[in-house]
Amino acid sequence: MGSFGDVRLFLLCHAFLYDVDMIPPRLPLSRQPLRLLQDRIATGLITAGGIGVLLAILAIGVFLIWETLPLLALSNTFSLATLSPMAWGTLKAALAAMLFATPLALGAAMYSALFMSKRLRIRVKPILELMEAIPGVVVGFIAGLLLAPWVERHLASTLMIIVWLPLSAALAGCLWYVASARLRQWLPLSWAGVWLIPWLALMAALALWLAPLIEQTMFGGDLRRLLDQQYGLDYATRNALIVGIAMGFAIIPSIYSLAEDALADVPANLMEGAQALGASRWQALWKVALPTAGPGVFSAVMIGAGRAVGETMIVLMASGNTSLLSASPFEGLRSLSASIAIELPEASPGGLTYHLLIFAALALFLFTFFVNTLAEVVRQRLRRRYQRLGGNR
Amino acid sequence: MRRKSRPPRISTMGSLLWPWLCAGSVALSLLMLLTLLTLLATRGLGHFWPATLEEITLHSGETVIGQPVREAPLPNTQGMERLYFTGNRDVDGASWRWVAVDDIAQQAAPNDIVRLERTPWGDFIGRLVAVESAGQRLEGQAAWAFIDSALALPEGQRPDAQLQLTAANGQAVTQPLASITLFQTPNAMSWGQKVATWSQRIWQFLSEGPRAANTGGGVWPAIFGTVLMVILMSVIVTPFGVLAAIYLNEIAHQNRLTHLVRIGVRNLAGVPSIVYGVFGLGVFVYGIGGSIDSWFFDDALPSPTFGTGGLLWASLTLALLTLPVVIVATEEGLARIPDAQREGAVALGATRLEMLTRVVLPMATPAMLTGVILAVARAAGEVAPLMLVGVAKLAPQMPVDGEFPYLHLERKFMHLGYHLFDTAFHGEDVQAAIPLVFATALLLVLIVLALNLTAIFLRHYLRRQRGNEC
Repeated sequence: MGSFGDVRLFLLCHAFLYDVDMIPPRLPLSRQPLRLLQDRIATGLITAGGIGVLLAILAIGVFLIWETLPLLALSNTFSLATLSPMAWGTLKAALAAMLFATPLALGAAMYSALFMSKRLRIRVKPILELMEAIPGVVVGFIAGLLLAPWVERHLASTLMIIVWLPLSAALAGCLWYVASARLRQWLPLSWAGVWLIPWLALMAALALWLAPLIEQTMFGGDLRRLLDQQYGLDYATRNALIVGIAMGFAIIPSIYSLAEDALADVPANLMEGAQALGASRWQALWKVALPTAGPGVFSAVMIGAGRAVGETMIVLMASGNTSLLSASPFEGLRSLSASIAIELPEASPGGLTYHLLIFAALALFLFTFFVNTLAEVVRQRLRRRYQRLGGNR
Repeated sequence: MRRKSRPPRISTMGSLLWPWLCAGSVALSLLMLLTLLTLLATRGLGHFWPATLEEITLHSGETVIGQPVREAPLPNTQGMERLYFTGNRDVDGASWRWVAVDDIAQQAAPNDIVRLERTPWGDFIGRLVAVESAGQRLEGQAAWAFIDSALALPEGQRPDAQLQLTAANGQAVTQPLASITLFQTPNAMSWGQKVATWSQRIWQFLSEGPRAANTGGGVWPAIFGTVLMVILMSVIVTPFGVLAAIYLNEIAHQNRLTHLVRIGVRNLAGVPSIVYGVFGLGVFVYGIGGSIDSWFFDDALPSPTFGTGGLLWASLTLALLTLPVVIVATEEGLARIPDAQREGAVALGATRLEMLTRVVLPMATPAMLTGVILAVARAAGEVAPLMLVGVAKLAPQMPVDGEFPYLHLERKFMHLGYHLFDTAFHGEDVQAAIPLVFATALLLVLIVLALNLTAIFLRHYLRRQRGNEC
């Protein structure tokens, strides 16, 4: 405080002695109205611009509804039925992707929010979030041209890897509990997210090596022929399984990121209380953190579903685009978004196909908008709940 | 107090193993990401490496010269077969050859095998016999020396010459020097030479246009189109996004309506991109573009000028698509500025405009920049809406040239992402195009990741700086 006083005293003396004016020179009065006018004009412009932009955004919805109205006039309700295989395809693709992505993303979120070491977490989280930035066209290309033919040749190996990898992670856990204390210290659970990578790669290689033998003994050497003869399942190269894996890969980061935020923000005193009463870390997570953060996790899954329904390039490149009404995971599909991308440039404006496709776009728009709004509202509720519970944010 | 260790009960076994499954899912996600990036990097960059060319003699006496690509088990019988890239589409009619490994009698990699990249027919693999130039016939060392010196010259000054070559089956081929873009003898190269050729070919990939139905050459027009489109888009989206954010955060009354609008804007970021494409096609291309055509370009009708997809419409559509990103990021920056700063400015007699332009906006600049970079990253990777509003598989004219008005907003343009999609799925010889598709994919991923990393570091820097100030 003293130094401030000194400075002030010095300045005062300075001003007094040398007759320096402390107050900045006042603008001539004639310029004051100009400033106010400028301010008024600028405020008006910003308001107009802002409202204009918001209206432009609103215009998307208005346009889609407006262009769908002629469908009511043309009004043969049968024409809507032509969309049903695509609607089914969209749902099937989204379901496959969610089946693949939800367990992975939520597991990853739980681990990195509560078990991972802090130093590792600040590195791993941005990396997993960067996954979201990989363009869909690249993922689709890898899935459609590399993964699909490979899976076609090695169907049994693929299925075996899908079953075997979770088991091998659990196996690593079992081995860890019987391992010596030094090894446990050297490979702690809090860094398992990293040191399990080579282990999983090794296990995948093992599964690849074993799969042909198992296929030979259990399925008579050719799983695809067996599926065809026993269950009448056709196998298409680009199918729902491939779409599920590829699109699942693409939506993991969005689910993970939001769910992790929700779990990491659970007030620490809740978790500490549970653990003080004798719960293990997992029990505290399962009985306390998950129910508290439940809405946040739910909204993360919803946002993932919204993305899966609207994703275009991955489905377009990895699904074969055959509009079928089949539930088999080994057959192709065609989604609404993919048929818009393929057919709309060729459809003549004003024709039935044009309006039908715009109706499909409207359906996508409404669905994602509804899902996202729900997720957002739920998340804001959750934030208020955390504040009430005395969270640290 | 002594603690006895008991074997865990079954119910707690589960709670001991679940964390490992969760750890496994982090590891698996990272493994998948790592695999994808490694795959892109090795296949994308490996294509440009001058690979060893093998000369194999089959049991039937036939000779094949080519680059081994991969092996696969033979259908129906035991054993493996190997795929060779043999080039010479003009001689053999095909540039790929599957050879059963058991059929190979002899295998060698002689130093005199040459590989040419030519403009009309793609690659040639074979041997050099002689060079004919100005009535002279050069053979042996003289021929090699002549080609080396001729190819060192810039393209316009190369002498007129004919190369006499033989293919693997002994057929003679005459090739004019002017049609050759690359001449190499990979088996005779040292490491240094290979690295030099490798970087030269990567440079060609980045700086040249596509050749031979996208199976050769480069992606320069696609890079140019992408960059130009993204620049136009950011010029459009930045002012409007910032304006909307300022309005929402600084001028509008904070009530239920602004709250709803904010949620709405945030949710638009989750609306599928194809929906924006539909809007762009219906409103910009057919609506506005059609009207512009009927008012100003009616002499050109019925062939549309602005009434079809083009650069301007694509930029506008993507600007609309990325508007929420910019608005949300800018608003976050604005909300982070303490109210004391604003109040201080107003207390000193500043009008609202002066407060905004001299105090608030300079402090929010990094946040705006972050938003724009994120928008650019999203736009660079987005393909689906472009398919509706103006991307072309092969644009005959660049959108910028020497003709007035220099920037042609109505022209179609090439885009890296769409180039990738089109080459991989609608190409004539997909097998031959795949290495280039990998290179394109790698380039696209690198661009997008670099932009995102910039945004992350900028945001990080911003938070730290703000932390010091408070």
